[in-house]
Amino acid sequence: MSAIPTLALRAVSKSFGMTVALADMTLELFPGTVHAIVGENGAGKSTMIKIMTGIYQPSSGQVEIDGAPVVLSGSKAARLRGVAAIYQEPMVFPDLDVTENIFISATDAGLILDRRSMRRRAEALIDRIGMTLDVDREARGLTLAEQQAVEIARALSQDVRVLIMDEPTASLSAHEAAELRRIARSLAASGVAVVYISHRLEEVFEIADRVTVIRDGRHISTRPVAEVTPQGMIADMVGRAVGNYFTKMPSVARDEVILSVRGLTRAGVFEDISFDLHRGEVLCMAGLIGARRTDVALSLFGVHAATAGEVRYKGQVVRMTSPAQAIALGIAYVSEDRRKLGLAMPLPIRSNISLATLAQYLSPLGLIDRRRERDTAMAYRERLNIRAPDVDMAVGVLSGGNQQKVMLAKWLAMKPDLLIVDEPTRGIDVGAKAEVHDLIRAFVRDGGTALVISSDLPEVLALGDRILVMREGRQMGIIDSARATQEGIMAVATGQSEAA
Amino acid sequence: MTGLFHRLGPQGLRVLALLAVILLLLAFFASQIDGYFNARLFSRISGSVAIMALIATAQTLVILTRNIDLSIGSIVGFTAFAAGNLVSTNPEMSALVLVLFCCCFGACFGAVNGLIVAYGRVPSIIVTLATMAIFRSLLVEYSDGKSITTNTLPAWLTEFPNLPVFTVFGLEFRAAFVAALTVVFVVHLALTRLRPMRQFFAVGSNPEAAEMAGIDARRVVFSAFVLSGALAGLAGLMFLARFGNITVVAGLGFELKSVAAAVVGGVNIFGGSGTVIGALLGAVLVDVIDTSLVRWAIVSEFWREAVLGALILLSVTTDTLFTRRLVAWRAARAHARREATLNQEARP
Repeated sequence: MSAIPTLALRAVSKSFGMTVALADMTLELFPGTVHAIVGENGAGKSTMIKIMTGIYQPSSGQVEIDGAPVVLSGSKAARLRGVAAIYQEPMVFPDLDVTENIFISATDAGLILDRRSMRRRAEALIDRIGMTLDVDREARGLTLAEQQAVEIARALSQDVRVLIMDEPTASLSAHEAAELRRIARSLAASGVAVVYISHRLEEVFEIADRVTVIRDGRHISTRPVAEVTPQGMIADMVGRAVGNYFTKMPSVARDEVILSVRGLTRAGVFEDISFDLHRGEVLCMAGLIGARRTDVALSLFGVHAATAGEVRYKGQVVRMTSPAQAIALGIAYVSEDRRKLGLAMPLPIRSNISLATLAQYLSPLGLIDRRRERDTAMAYRERLNIRAPDVDMAVGVLSGGNQQKVMLAKWLAMKPDLLIVDEPTRGIDVGAKAEVHDLIRAFVRDGGTALVISSDLPEVLALGDRILVMREGRQMGIIDSARATQEGIMAVATGQSEAA
Repeated sequence: MTGLFHRLGPQGLRVLALLAVILLLLAFFASQIDGYFNARLFSRISGSVAIMALIATAQTLVILTRNIDLSIGSIVGFTAFAAGNLVSTNPEMSALVLVLFCCCFGACFGAVNGLIVAYGRVPSIIVTLATMAIFRSLLVEYSDGKSITTNTLPAWLTEFPNLPVFTVFGLEFRAAFVAALTVVFVVHLALTRLRPMRQFFAVGSNPEAAEMAGIDARRVVFSAFVLSGALAGLAGLMFLARFGNITVVAGLGFELKSVAAAVVGGVNIFGGSGTVIGALLGAVLVDVIDTSLVRWAIVSEFWREAVLGALILLSVTTDTLFTRRLVAWRAARAHARREATLNQEARP
């Protein structure tokens, strides 16, 4: 291995306000190697990529290229130095054809487009990565794999030296993923330093030369792949210092089955999901990004209809086709995306809480009874301990944890029988997390039933009575949380072992 | 048919469709109006299109980058007035200097819009709605309520638009029309052949990806507004030469006409796709309808606007449906092809 890394991070830190996304990160990337980076969701991988591609500037520390410190002042500066990245969701221009997509940011070429030579070079590049693609067709309608090929070709057209692949195979079929790994290997063979970020551990073992584990924004270990075992890697990924900071609550599940799902499938997205949900139970869905847990929830909530399988709700077979239908049946879905799907940020807390149940606040004249609305909002503020001086404050100015509670209040006001919560504590502090957990536990104690999607393993263990682990659209098993461990769940979620 | 369909792509097809619609409309009006095809029809439409084509092109440049310029009418009016003022005090000035003056004058207004939109990150519809009013008020202040009149302008300027350049099939192509066509053609070449101008499409097509690909999206948007302003300035000069009498309301309503022409001409209002040739044909189509409806006794004057409005709705709706179909059809075809290759590979 050559002594000078193509690109290196030296003690790089990055904070956003009070949040430290990356702390004292050191990483060396050598030419001709595939360097895998693994870590849980939120471990700081994206921040690291953004620093290497010049989108973020480090708060402290140095980026080095060929051993010399550099400032990458933007993605263009990074490209000029030969650093390029491709993402799970490729960045192509749907209105331009493949050739133009490849050369759109070419900086070394002249002012006037030489269509013919561009076409020829585009074909050569597509050929080099071993794809077949009509270079004259618009990028609109290309498959994800083809779009990634276009992006790789774009990187190659500019003499790429460091190619960062961020979860490139998460949305690809097995065949396409194998194809992509072959491309990554051949690029490394030609001297490129490839960074490969993946949740699929078997993939990491297949293609990586070196593996770096990061956790909570910190560098944990970097080893040649031969010295790493799957168990060791998983232990590195989850072994957090804090331990279990949530108290485990006893189950209050009863015998009555509220929701019974058999062989639920949405073609091409997830398949064969089967479970029973009892009244008073909290079932957690664990898995990594791309496990398709949210898609299952959206199917149950009627957003995207399932293509096969059976759902029984309170003993009746139902076919969910719209959220309105699901809501009428007493099912609530709290989205993971507070900003986009959850809250109307400029509106006051009061209006947000009453939003899903507005019909209950209408006066005989059909106008909104503000007093009643206000009273309900005050009651929920009290009960959920929402820290806001007044319920007429805009939701947007509250902290993330309080916003989350307002969102829960909105759906609890509906008095649902089944509450589906997607990532209820993402991006909120530990204290607020515990409060949200208490809320969900109180909800099931009062006869509700909850399905919780969470990527936070300590949370899954503390909150769930049982844990359904998914991986790439398939149900890997259901584990009783009393017998589950973080390592065990992670091993199942990454495909290293079968559920017990 | 499929071969042609494929070779042309959606933009080429749209140009053909527009031509067909224009011809159908001409045939329709000819059957309805006695003596429809007279010598004045072509000169009237071509004279008016000379101005419309320029503002449609200007608007297209901005729309391509996922923005809009509502101040275009005010820029045309202001430039027309300022140029009229300048040339009536210096009647001996060179035509080239006057053209350059108008381009730069318009470009300055465009730069104001571009700065606020690109670097201030304010949505263009708001910025240009405001500058539309501001530029117009500045013009009122600058003109001091006076008007430019034809008799203060040098003859070479007012005669220019009607100079015959050449005649094809008895149709007399006059200087203004030929000049406008030349400009449109040059812009078309630039948009399709110049590397920096292809970035207009990239930014409009996927701004995030453009940023990731190292394109300076802000500079691209800024340039689009400046170029658009320069073209609007040129349209202002054309306006001055054609009408001679310029009041403070010159160019009023051009913002909507330019958007209409561009959209009818197949420029995607959400940016990223469209051609200035399409916008030119859109301008012709809008103008044919506008000019012909005046002479068609059945449609009252009050309904002309409604017919135009209906046309815009029709073209945008069909465009949306058409594009969606095309995308679905292509995806299905690509899928089928991939399945076929996979099956082939699977075979021993």
